[in-house]
Amino acid sequence: MNAIKIIMIALPATFLTCVAAAEESIEFNRDVLPILSNHCYMCHGPDSATREAGLRLDQRESATAKADSGKRAVTPGNVQVSEMIRRITTDDENERMPPVKGPKALDAKQIATLKTWIKQGAEFQPHWAFVPPKQPELPETVHSEWPKNKIDFFVLEKLERAGLKPAREANRETLIRRVAFDLTGLPPTLQEIDRFLSAPSPDAYEQMVDRFLASPAYGEHMARHWLDLARYADSNGYQYDTEREQWIWRDWVINAYNSNKPFNEFTIEQLAGDLLPAATDQQRLATGFNRNHGITIEGGIIDEEYRTEYVMDRLVTTGDVWLALTIGCARCHEHKFDPISQKEFYQLYAFFNQVPERGMQGFAPKQRIRSPLATPFQDGLDAVLARLKAELQKPADINEQLNLWSKRISEQRVSGWTVLEPFTMKSSGGTTLTKLKDNSLLASGANPQKDIYEITSTTDATNLTAVRLEALTHESLPGGGPGRHSNSNFVLSEFELTAVSMTDPSQRQTVKFTRAIADYSQANYEIDKAIDGNQTGNNGWAVDGPSRKLPATAMFIAGAPFGYEGGTELQFRLRHEAGFSTHGVGRPRLSITGDTPETLELHGIPADIRQIAGKERDQRTTNEQKQLQEYFLAHHNPQQALEQRVAELEKQKLAAIPETMVMQDMAQPRATYLLDRGQYNEPREQVSPDVPAIFPAMPKTAAKNRLGFANWLVAPGHPLTARVAVNRYWQRLFGLGLVKTSEDFGVQGELPSHPELLDWLALEFIRSDWDIKHMQRLIVNSATYRQTSHVGAAAYRKDPENRLLARGPRMRLDAEQIRDATLAVSGALVQQQGGKSVYPYQPKGLWLELNNRPNYSKAYPQGSGNDLYRRSLYTFWKRTVPSPMLKTLDAPEREFCTIRRSRTNTPLQALLLLNGPQFVEAARKLAERMLTEGGPTVDEQITYGFRLVTARNPSAAELTLFREAYATDLKYYTNDKDATQKLLQVGDSPLNENLNQEKLAAFTSLTRVFLNLDEAITKE
Amino acid sequence: MLHPLFEMQIHQNRRQFFGRTSTGIGVAALASLLNRDLFSKETASDPLRVGGLPGIPHFAPKAKRVIYLLQSGAPSQVDLLDYKPSLEKLHMTELPDSVRKGQRLTGMTAGQKQFPVVKSPWKFRQHGESGTWLSDLLPHMGKVADDICVINSMHTEAINHDPAITFFQSGHQQPGRPSIGAWLSYGLGSETENLPSFVVLLSKNSFNQAQPLYDRLWGSGFLSSKYQGVKFRSQGDPVLYLSDPAGGSDANRRMMLDRLSKLNQLREQEIGDPEITARIAQYEMAYRMQTSVPELADISNESASTLKLYGDDVKEPGTHAANCLLARRLAERGVRFIQVFHRGWDHHSNVQQHLPTLAKQTDQGSAALIADLKQRGMLDETLVIWGGEFGRTVYSQGNPEAFGRDHHPRCFSLWMAGGGIKPGLTYGRTDDYCYNITENPVHVHDFHATILHCLGINHERLTYRFQGRDYRLTDVHGTVVKDILK
Repeated sequence: MNAIKIIMIALPATFLTCVAAAEESIEFNRDVLPILSNHCYMCHGPDSATREAGLRLDQRESATAKADSGKRAVTPGNVQVSEMIRRITTDDENERMPPVKGPKALDAKQIATLKTWIKQGAEFQPHWAFVPPKQPELPETVHSEWPKNKIDFFVLEKLERAGLKPAREANRETLIRRVAFDLTGLPPTLQEIDRFLSAPSPDAYEQMVDRFLASPAYGEHMARHWLDLARYADSNGYQYDTEREQWIWRDWVINAYNSNKPFNEFTIEQLAGDLLPAATDQQRLATGFNRNHGITIEGGIIDEEYRTEYVMDRLVTTGDVWLALTIGCARCHEHKFDPISQKEFYQLYAFFNQVPERGMQGFAPKQRIRSPLATPFQDGLDAVLARLKAELQKPADINEQLNLWSKRISEQRVSGWTVLEPFTMKSSGGTTLTKLKDNSLLASGANPQKDIYEITSTTDATNLTAVRLEALTHESLPGGGPGRHSNSNFVLSEFELTAVSMTDPSQRQTVKFTRAIADYSQANYEIDKAIDGNQTGNNGWAVDGPSRKLPATAMFIAGAPFGYEGGTELQFRLRHEAGFSTHGVGRPRLSITGDTPETLELHGIPADIRQIAGKERDQRTTNEQKQLQEYFLAHHNPQQALEQRVAELEKQKLAAIPETMVMQDMAQPRATYLLDRGQYNEPREQVSPDVPAIFPAMPKTAAKNRLGFANWLVAPGHPLTARVAVNRYWQRLFGLGLVKTSEDFGVQGELPSHPELLDWLALEFIRSDWDIKHMQRLIVNSATYRQTSHVGAAAYRKDPENRLLARGPRMRLDAEQIRDATLAVSGALVQQQGGKSVYPYQPKGLWLELNNRPNYSKAYPQGSGNDLYRRSLYTFWKRTVPSPMLKTLDAPEREFCTIRRSRTNTPLQALLLLNGPQFVEAARKLAERMLTEGGPTVDEQITYGFRLVTARNPSAAELTLFREAYATDLKYYTNDKDATQKLLQVGDSPLNENLNQEKLAAFTSLTRVFLNLDEAITKE
Repeated sequence: MLHPLFEMQIHQNRRQFFGRTSTGIGVAALASLLNRDLFSKETASDPLRVGGLPGIPHFAPKAKRVIYLLQSGAPSQVDLLDYKPSLEKLHMTELPDSVRKGQRLTGMTAGQKQFPVVKSPWKFRQHGESGTWLSDLLPHMGKVADDICVINSMHTEAINHDPAITFFQSGHQQPGRPSIGAWLSYGLGSETENLPSFVVLLSKNSFNQAQPLYDRLWGSGFLSSKYQGVKFRSQGDPVLYLSDPAGGSDANRRMMLDRLSKLNQLREQEIGDPEITARIAQYEMAYRMQTSVPELADISNESASTLKLYGDDVKEPGTHAANCLLARRLAERGVRFIQVFHRGWDHHSNVQQHLPTLAKQTDQGSAALIADLKQRGMLDETLVIWGGEFGRTVYSQGNPEAFGRDHHPRCFSLWMAGGGIKPGLTYGRTDDYCYNITENPVHVHDFHATILHCLGINHERLTYRFQGRDYRLTDVHGTVVKDILK
């Protein structure tokens, strides 16, 4: 690869306005490369595995050298002897290139281009994107009064060369609406509009821009774009698509944008925050970026297969986001077009392959870290907790209670557990239960779907208080754990005991257990589920058999003492009737005790504490007394109410701060191998972490880990990082990037429309110390951005995609912007930052119709109150069933990184905006605002509402139409009270009944028209 | 999504377009807005077509559309379609390693120590002139045995549901690629301007261990989201947000749309962006869907004999039978790709209890669909497919008494009918254990290539450039199974 860099002559890649005619000067990147790449590189490109004839046409050296045939494909300056030309023009089908069964044939124009290229010397150029940006000279333009900043010179020069003029500046109403949507995702308020319209200062526009950049809504809007790249979601994707709580990471992104964290830090912290020296919790939190991929919980999955997919996803996403390269193409073979070998792919893979994680339920590593957008509620919680804890720590008046307690525990006798000898054992499903020497029962033989072990034993003890069940392991059990299933787990759905008098069998009782304690329970399969009387569904005690593989012990405490004089037969039933088949306990052992419930607690008190308690007060050393007191305070504090309150609050606090998945590297690096055909189970040669040779090397001193990699990405000489980022900013504002294929800067990607502008922006980004707000401000302040988009049909026909930038951007708003704007103008929007994701309106049944398996599914838990009106980036993102409001408007599933969304125009969108309850309700709320805030006359009220939606006053023609529409609808609703009531009942928000209901309904009809206007859902 | 055409820069003669009566945009104006012949000569030959790529179909298609009855969870081929008398002798013997050949197992039976072969408890018999063997669990299918082609030699790479069904739907085990229906919407466009070109119907699920479904199974992947499948639901609005809010009337709605059109038109004159014209047309389309969709779902005009053919279930919306009938009605109206998802075939235990239930839920409706299409002369141009995402093991998962069957990727069965497929054929063979294919293997990629072929598409030439690469449904694989074509 280094060879390319040396032999190629760096020519500036300039324009892509028209296709080269034969007599024009040929430019390799613009004219020749697309032909070679599309038609030739499959067999004569970077991939050595599929290379034919020893010829590669992506390197001048090879193209002009003798191929296997002894002929030279390209002889610079001499078309006649160039074998390539002969082969692409021959009539002989067996000889002609590309082959009949290969890529598409070349057309006459392409052949002419190749001939001219060879005639002119067959110059190659390095691919522009692999050459670091160079500071371009500011182009000279005729109309130098137009530019407002340097961006405009580059744009104007190209316009002038095309014989075009820039469009006039858009009017102020259009401008403020455009800027507000672009910087905050929300429409401007009327106050903001009026302030801007009446601002006399020459820099009123720039001031307006700065106000929006300073708004907290800016961070939310920028974050929303980043979430698409980061494939952020609130669910795990695969199969049952269970939930995850990763929103604290989302809050980190919002905060990073609002605090204008420089892009290099933004990059380093997300890719490698955990590896920074003295990493802070917030820096670790940032690494959630690369844990946002889907994670499977599917029962039969092969662990390594999916762990491999997670690492792949990390690498591919990182490549898409920072390099705009299709790195993933080199997973299975050498990249067909770009100079990235398969080995280099796995060298990059090695950076991301060090997480101590699993494929199945691979949620660890996780960390409990607070959201940087901590809410007042959380702060309040902290304050109360601090106060209560301080109270708890007060030594006041505890001495006496401590003395009483130590006396009690030192006097109480603990008789301990008596292991029961099983007398009979039966299995309802045909399992063989064999008694072992230690009186445990080993299950073997048939392994039924469901099973009930009936075990009887006898005792002459009375006043029994509790039973102990040990689930032991045994070498004959599958997988080494305590369960019978091949995954080592068991699920004990219910534990029951009947006590029968041996002298009078008519005396019997079902022992009621009131409490159960286990030394280990699997999440959601806690021990109390074994005594809750619930025998349906998947309710029971389990112990993480697949991962833990250790014995487990449970203690069941009876509500009242049991045991008959003259002996008791104990009939135990271990029920295995949950929805998990063959999940029996593998080797149960049962014990009983007569210790009181209080003394049962003693089992938990460390021996040294009990020993200290046994001493008289003056016999204890100071240290011993302190130890005893600390233990007492921690476990048996008389201020129990206080304690419970603290525990309750702590629980709330924990619930408010779920664990976030973060990155971490293993202490012992995991070896990385090249995987043949990308298959997890086909490792080949071992590789070490490194970056591809086409790029600048990592510094020798740099650690070869993610941190080294992240630092390398943002080193100033990097050819891609800054370009890729500024191109996405441009795409966000103008609809298309300067490089249209913002996801692919490689050889197959499109050339930049304004290469020098792209380079200038990239270098400016670096020069500004990667100041993200600065770049937004710069672009938005340009004359290019401020142009009107109202330029007439001819201009749209001439340049449908606006690649020449002869007009301002005009495009349909994104899904989130449409919903947020509708809520904002209706006054319903709740602008609370951060926190758990919320569940706004959604038609019934959408979740359950795809997944209704008990315990793996649930109905959509539609929220209420404020949750219905939060900004859309807080909407719960379920990958397999995304919010229909957002999805209908082209929001992606977020199952993988999305760099560019579709922007479609469909009837389903019309149905949503016309009939969706969120939108109908918002129309009513907007109508209420018109009536209460709009002014005394109908015209004023209409104008008020229309301005809220469009930021402008209606024209005379429009106003006339609105007035007539209102009058017609008012008549309709006056005549139909029922219709009035029904229309106004849509939505959860209370109806303002003080208003004239018919007028409100008629206005609601009108505002539905406002909100459905093309203009309302378009940035103009 | 319905009308890719509107994405294009169509600019109408404004006077013609807006010269309309008070009932809204005239039908003639709308039809000319659609301007079907705009794209290619090929589409001109198919006067009903909307959208699609020029040059596609590549050759004369046998099938105009597809109805795909996807049986999620993986039906047991050895109990339904692949008759194995050899298992009589092998019953309760251990599956030899020489047959298993190191096949990787799912996490569910990887720990199992024994692999006893379990024969099918159901009888098989031959049906029709073709003598096609079918299990007694499929009595209705027996009546149309001469119309179907059973393939017993399907195989796949995935061994778990999510990757396997994603593979079947998109040609790739991981999320991200377009579904078959999306590929067809993109390549072939639609034959209707009133309905989406790709419609998904979900049957109600009653099996409590059923596999879930995901939007990606009918998603558009990297293609424009307008190509994704549209779910027609059996509860609430058939299409999301189809109904007007309460308190409106049809006259109201029309008036409102007229106002919108008028205002948008004023705006379009001022700005010139053709996207506005397209928006007007989409609102008109939405208006027409509000009539065409309820009409579609209303089966009251179906004859008694037709309803009888589909069985009693047909009257309950959301059953497999009701969806089969709906599929026929969608096919009649020009929908290109109709996919019915039925769940509940994942029987890791108690096959004997569960399988008859599932067979009963699907047998009559599937057979009725074929007979119904045939009696209407539509079977020849409609490709019907029935099958799951992989097969099931011949050996017992768990206790052979209440035997279950685990996932099996190496061989399984499905059937295809109509649309250029050879009827009455049983294709491909498996070994005595129903474990390995011995003759004519058909990979999922081959299956996809064959579907596309029936629709007149060369699977190697239906491509989309994404991230620099020309993607195909069949990746870089796939061979058309010529043997099963008419």
